[in-house]
Amino acid sequence: MKQYWLTLHTILSLSFAGSVLAVDTAYLKPYHTGDWKTIAKASNGAPLAIHFWGVTCPACVKEMPQWGQFLKVNPNARVVFIQVDDVSIDSMQKMLNKAGLEKANHYYVADPFDERLRYDIDPKWHGETPTTIVIDKNGKATRKTGLVDFQMLQNALKAKS
Amino acid sequence: MMQTYIQFPLLSLVPKTLLLGVLGVCLHANAQVEHSSHPAKITPTKVSNACQGIGLECANAATPFITKDGKLLLAWTAGGVVSVAQSMDVGKSFSSAVKIAEHGKALDTGSDARPQIVADQQGNIFLAYAFFKDSNWNAQINTARSADGGNSFTSPETLVRDGSSQRFPSVLIKPDSSIFIAWIDKRLIATANRGGEKRLGGSIAYSFSGDGGKTFGTERFANENSCECCRIGGSLDPNGNPVLAYRAIFPGGIRDHATQVIAAKGAEPIRRVADDDWRTDACPHHGPAIAISGSGKVHVAWYTQGSKRSGVFYANSTNQGASYSKPSRVGAEGANVARPYLLASDQHIWLTWKEFDGTKSSVYLKESRDDGNTWSTPILLASTAGYSDHPLLLLRGNEAFLSWLTRDDGYQLISIGQKQ
Repeated sequence: MKQYWLTLHTILSLSFAGSVLAVDTAYLKPYHTGDWKTIAKASNGAPLAIHFWGVTCPACVKEMPQWGQFLKVNPNARVVFIQVDDVSIDSMQKMLNKAGLEKANHYYVADPFDERLRYDIDPKWHGETPTTIVIDKNGKATRKTGLVDFQMLQNALKAKS
Repeated sequence: MMQTYIQFPLLSLVPKTLLLGVLGVCLHANAQVEHSSHPAKITPTKVSNACQGIGLECANAATPFITKDGKLLLAWTAGGVVSVAQSMDVGKSFSSAVKIAEHGKALDTGSDARPQIVADQQGNIFLAYAFFKDSNWNAQINTARSADGGNSFTSPETLVRDGSSQRFPSVLIKPDSSIFIAWIDKRLIATANRGGEKRLGGSIAYSFSGDGGKTFGTERFANENSCECCRIGGSLDPNGNPVLAYRAIFPGGIRDHATQVIAAKGAEPIRRVADDDWRTDACPHHGPAIAISGSGKVHVAWYTQGSKRSGVFYANSTNQGASYSKPSRVGAEGANVARPYLLASDQHIWLTWKEFDGTKSSVYLKESRDDGNTWSTPILLASTAGYSDHPLLLLRGNEAFLSWLTRDDGYQLISIGQKQ
């Protein structure tokens, strides 16, 4: 009986919520204050880039298609995207689709994007976007604000030889 | 006229437990939970920390204005809504809030955006804010007016008729009741990009109104190259001319600060505040502050991550910006220092800023009684563990106040002393 209700509930949820919720749960995950450890830890063994961007940031909008291209050419590169503006998930999705990034690993900031949220990411970062943090195979983080040099990024993300 | 009123008391006065329980509009924030006396029961939940209401308790930014008769007008953005309320007792209690506009997720609530509110000698109020008008994130500045002291407002209308983007309004009211508004305008950038250029940034535009903001004069550009995502600072000089401080884009993509006097005949030369050499295409979301003392000395504070200087700094100019003093660091080196703000009255200057130590955000203040030549040791004004807005300063008669909106501890208007 319990199983039945659970199934029914799931069906109803999916049919009522439609595609927006499906997108939300499928590839845009909420990022909360303190989640950094989990995301940065995921890099153990291989280098990882975490890219912070915002849909209202013109430099980010200009650069996102280049990220899409980069991942197309480097499908094994480990990149996490975190969207920082307080906007609708639908608008994030639109921009990601346009950039060819719908299959990448995405988060959106679900708490105020303030000094508390940024502190465990990098206490010196004041929230400039775009910002990319590369974590090397030893766990050392390097923060780069502004547009990315994709050649350098490709080298930095190469798996250990 | 807008007829919608929000019928609830302002909630900074109500105990938080009651607030959360009764209204159920504000989801529990982690920071609040951490303050509970039962830390053992806390599990790292994934409930949204976003406050969902439209009241001041959920606001991301609140802007104060003190009217001639000492009344506090407070405009804020929360839950996609712009609201205004009045306080006759310096922020202890407020009237019912008046809803000015509702834009949902399209309201500009970026970290440097805030509604603007001013009132003339007769108590007529002018308000401006920005929202995103299309799917390309072009913004529009809307204005609204009140002729009955803030009890009702006109329906918001656009400031500029242009298809590109106008954002970050900055409003000053002159003693003759004329209104000055500056903003970041993207029409020149949009035109350049249509012509095949790949330009980033915006322009500093401005306009005046002689009828309380009902109509505005010709829109003019002060600087065609500015950062597109930082607030503009503004202050009136002793001649009554607005002086702007903003993050310009200098040749080579250097996003350093400039000041500019806007005289009756037009914008005067662009004056660089400091050679910080911040070459970046990024959006810092962190604009400067400016205050002009009785002597006409221009005081500026700003944030940079330049190759020559990194942090928050202060400098002043005795010659309308033609040259600036050597920048001096604000706050401790290595500390997380942000959001400087300035107030000047005669020779008395107050400088405030925010520091974060990993646990709490604190507002510090230092003051100068000799026009910025010597400064007091910084003092701690207030701290909070949750989300907080930028610290702002304002005068009520001869008394100076800190205005600080916090999520955990409510809206605060704290007296910081009498002017000299």
